[in-house]
Amino acid sequence: MSLDAVGLEVMGHAFASVAEEMGLVLIHSAVSPNIRERRDCSAALFDAAGEMIAQAAHIPVHLGALHESVAAVRARAPAPGDVFVLNDPYAGGSHLPDITLVGAVEVDGAVGGYGVVRAHHSDVGGMQAGSMPAGAREIFAEGVVVPPLRLTPDVERFLLANVRTPEARRADLAAQRAAVERGADGLRALAARHGWAALREAARDLQAYAERRAREALGRLAATGLTATDWLEGDGVDDTDLAIHVRVDIRDGVFHVDFTGTAPAARGNVNCPLAVARSAVLFVVRTLLPEDVPTNGGVTRVVRVTAPEGCMVHARFPSAVAAGNVETSQRIVDTVFLALARGGVPVPAQGQGTMNNVSFGGTRDDGPGTGGWTYYETIGGGQGASHGAPGPSGVHVGMSNTRNTPIEVLEMEYPLRLKAYALRRGSGGVGKWSGGEGVIREFEALAAMDASVLSDRRRHAPCGAGGGGAGAPGRTLVNGAPLPPKASTRLTAGDVVRVETPGGGGWGQPEPGGQR
Amino acid sequence: MGVDVGGTFTDLVVLTPDGAIAVRKVATTPEDPAVGMFRALDALAGARGAPAPAAQRAPAVAGAPRAPAIELLVHGTTIATNALLERRGARVVLVTTRGFEDLLWLGRQDRAALYDLARHQPPPLVAREDVVPATERMGPSGVLDPLTDGEVARVVAAVRALAPEAVAIALLFAFRDPTHERRLASALRDALPRVPVAASHEVLPLFREFERTSTTTVEAYLRPKVSTYLERLDGGVRQRGIGALRVMTSSGGTRAPAAAAAHAASLALSGPAGGVVGARLVGAAVGLSDLLTLDMGGTSADASLVVGGAPLADGAGAVGGIPLALPAVLIETVSAGGGSIARVDEGGALRVGPDSAGAVPGPACYGRGGERPTVTDACLALGWLDAGSPLADQVQLDPAAAEQALRRLGPAAGGDSARVAAGIVAVAGAVMARALKRVSVARGLDPRRMALLPFGGAGALFGCQLADALGMGSIVIPPHPGALSALGLASAAERADLLASLHRPVDGLEPRALALAFAPLLAEGARLIPAGTLLKYADCRFAGQGYEVTVPVEGDEPARIRDEFLAAHRRRYGHGGGGLAVEIVNLRVVALREGPLPRFAGETRTGRRSQGRRAFVVRGERVTGSVWALDELAAGVTIQGPAILAGRDATALVESGWCGTVHPSGAVLLVRT
Repeated sequence: MSLDAVGLEVMGHAFASVAEEMGLVLIHSAVSPNIRERRDCSAALFDAAGEMIAQAAHIPVHLGALHESVAAVRARAPAPGDVFVLNDPYAGGSHLPDITLVGAVEVDGAVGGYGVVRAHHSDVGGMQAGSMPAGAREIFAEGVVVPPLRLTPDVERFLLANVRTPEARRADLAAQRAAVERGADGLRALAARHGWAALREAARDLQAYAERRAREALGRLAATGLTATDWLEGDGVDDTDLAIHVRVDIRDGVFHVDFTGTAPAARGNVNCPLAVARSAVLFVVRTLLPEDVPTNGGVTRVVRVTAPEGCMVHARFPSAVAAGNVETSQRIVDTVFLALARGGVPVPAQGQGTMNNVSFGGTRDDGPGTGGWTYYETIGGGQGASHGAPGPSGVHVGMSNTRNTPIEVLEMEYPLRLKAYALRRGSGGVGKWSGGEGVIREFEALAAMDASVLSDRRRHAPCGAGGGGAGAPGRTLVNGAPLPPKASTRLTAGDVVRVETPGGGGWGQPEPGGQR
Repeated sequence: MGVDVGGTFTDLVVLTPDGAIAVRKVATTPEDPAVGMFRALDALAGARGAPAPAAQRAPAVAGAPRAPAIELLVHGTTIATNALLERRGARVVLVTTRGFEDLLWLGRQDRAALYDLARHQPPPLVAREDVVPATERMGPSGVLDPLTDGEVARVVAAVRALAPEAVAIALLFAFRDPTHERRLASALRDALPRVPVAASHEVLPLFREFERTSTTTVEAYLRPKVSTYLERLDGGVRQRGIGALRVMTSSGGTRAPAAAAAHAASLALSGPAGGVVGARLVGAAVGLSDLLTLDMGGTSADASLVVGGAPLADGAGAVGGIPLALPAVLIETVSAGGGSIARVDEGGALRVGPDSAGAVPGPACYGRGGERPTVTDACLALGWLDAGSPLADQVQLDPAAAEQALRRLGPAAGGDSARVAAGIVAVAGAVMARALKRVSVARGLDPRRMALLPFGGAGALFGCQLADALGMGSIVIPPHPGALSALGLASAAERADLLASLHRPVDGLEPRALALAFAPLLAEGARLIPAGTLLKYADCRFAGQGYEVTVPVEGDEPARIRDEFLAAHRRRYGHGGGGLAVEIVNLRVVALREGPLPRFAGETRTGRRSQGRRAFVVRGERVTGSVWALDELAAGVTIQGPAILAGRDATALVESGWCGTVHPSGAVLLVRT
């Protein structure tokens, strides 16, 4: 049997509701702000063959990437009811802070599917608090590496012995496990209601439906041999430009990106496993599809990503990868958009293309009452303009969509004061539709502290599209003096760090008489 | 009397001192809701023999026995909601701290849609050129940059030059130290006596500058429109000799017109709040305190929760895309109403909503020119609604028109009109089930342990389908499901919500300090609602976390608040923080005076037998079931599904596998057989 028009919609809601429920359970029982408030997490339901049925993605960087986690777990012959944990970028993971739980759901005594929950833990050990060290040259410096393992109490003890904040990790892991279990319950309830055979059939039909709609949308965009090169500004060890090169072919409703020509593995941590590159490509494809196409394994089928092994976007063990997830993924999106724009595909101009990761921290040596704190945030910027609409200003673009920290919270809890928080006027690229404006955020240190900035688009501006102008590149200034894109520095009380984030590119030639 | 103005119908419920209920439904007059309301009022007054407006009081009525006059009219209004949705409020000037003029445009920096990169967040209610910065700065522990008298004068001049219709003032850290805001507000009120001025420390004295600024702007934006409307309404009410007017607020309590006009933003969810209050009352009458409620109206369905016998109120929300952090009854809206239009998308899936046929032209079966099939058309085609009895005594349903509209979708949806109709109700049910699951699961509640209370004109047609989808074992069909919102209004408590910021760790907090902090709120509550009940609450959180849990406070012992918080947190989120320190961030006082309790049981209901049998279609199968008059059912009657309970204002469907028992209140309790 195959689903009719009604079944597609009813079952689509039913599966999506289970994934949604998993995500809500996770967000509501997690402890750390990074999961609860910034929602750097996602949940998905997979079928027994390892294909995704539904996903509740709160952040695009996890889009479609959980497929690899399930594949890695399936290679370990999971028994019904087993729950696995992993974060190894070279075995189903993305970067070490993303800890993924995969539960093999028992239905009628066999593995009926998988519940998968990924969450960014702000601490997985390694050489620096926050587990995103700028200077890492090998993965070992970035934290504890967990290959796919059954999550037993012993494994959990081992993991917690390697982190700085075991209590918070324990609670967040418990929340993840609760979410996995809720997914299993949900799948079993659906099986009981609709019958197991019919349910499996429905999952397959939904994937076919999504694939059909994705192919249809991509079929209208046939294009071949579109190429583009864009640059990543330094890897945290060397401040030199690193090329990302793509060739995009859209043929027969399949979106193929090849990364041949991309820089080899970097010395620092801007490398990423192919799974992250695939997420970035999938993000671009997602923006080309109608919004109501469900995100499931059917969409993944129309996306092909190839890259020479060992290059920056197909990293090989033991390359460091922490920043690959946050910055390289952004640049991949930009490069693919650029190739499409040059080929005449109606896509938005490039956005700010960075997350402007800023962290401050006091060590215990900084004197009584100031020691042992860290604060991390990412700052929005300009979105690229689209054909028909200006780019939104002061938002997260591409692979991130986390919320800011209110000024009043920041100042009540940390020795920091905000001197200014404003849109960066004039930073959006000119065009028939102008690019979104970047953001100005100016911090004053009220005590001695460390500060580090992990950013990009400080030299290479976000491109316009269709003849539109580039957005302004970003700047980071300490007491008025510029910092390199990726840098760490020491502040004393009264020092001022000013971050000016990039504007988005404009779309179309500016019309005489002003912009829209 | 409760008057609920909906998009299609206006419902009136009269509650007499002995608790008896009378219900009336009339067509809404969308161009001016007050017109339809007064028309209905006059008709009802005439029918009851109560004093009609002087102009209409004909000699023939003079000799009729006079029923007691209406003492109190409680109104649920959509005036604020619509002004926000349609962007028809006042021109507002916003005064902010210098350097932070863009706060409303920066928002929380998340984008409007993950994958639609052209979509913008809804624009703020203020034009950017209408923001006036003030040179001053408060910090977490007091003044950083003083506000000079010269600066006050400059700001006043700048605001005056912009000729605003209303002014909002929101300065950083005003929730901690409102001195600067107070000085600016008082100077602006002196200089512009006819222009309403809303200051953030008065509207929402809580931390998080974006939400506070946005809420203050909403207050200024709505105040002129809301106060004009309420004044006019109050005039009409007095002219009819009605004792008093009160208005429902988003938090499920009522305020006098003057107080409501001064808290215009608190009316943003005035409309849907009544239904949740009504649901709570019915739950109390049948002895159920944990309810998932679903109000299915013409264009949308609202899911909400009653927990422990009280409507669940969440602070942070948005109306029309504008963040509004005032206390509000929880409402999650999905586009699955009676008028929601069905279509087949390009991938071959049947969709319901978000487009709606609205009140005009309405569903195809209303025969007013609607051609696209809606949920109501599907219900008619399936035999759930009876074409023989007009909807709310007004709308004659046309089955042929419904058939025709459904047939139009046939080829694309792959079936005849009966299959299409079955499909539409299945999809609408799936959309509503997902919303119900979201509201409950997001708050750590398991729907399987709750009862479902569907209401609105069509809600009770979907009860069994939704309960099945959510694994729920019991359903409460309230008496008069179509007028439950109006009933909630008629019996809602008078209520004022008062807030203050505290931000203190529980450890080391003296009971005396806590009592001192609550004192001004308690005094204000007692002043606003004399002889009312005063309830104290505290918003607590683990230190450094960005979310709070509100817990009731008894006595002034901070340690007790901590225990209460830990227990509540464990119930809701499954853990107790593992030793993290607890802080109290906000204090709340609710001043309440309960309304009259409806005496559901007082109605004389004598229906012990079904009115006959009828064929209809459930889950794609043709069945023959009994038909009952919902409004006449006598207590103790049992009803085996399949059955249809047809009321004057709503219809309920009892599927096979469910059995209903009529409660003395008139509610029908359904359980699985």
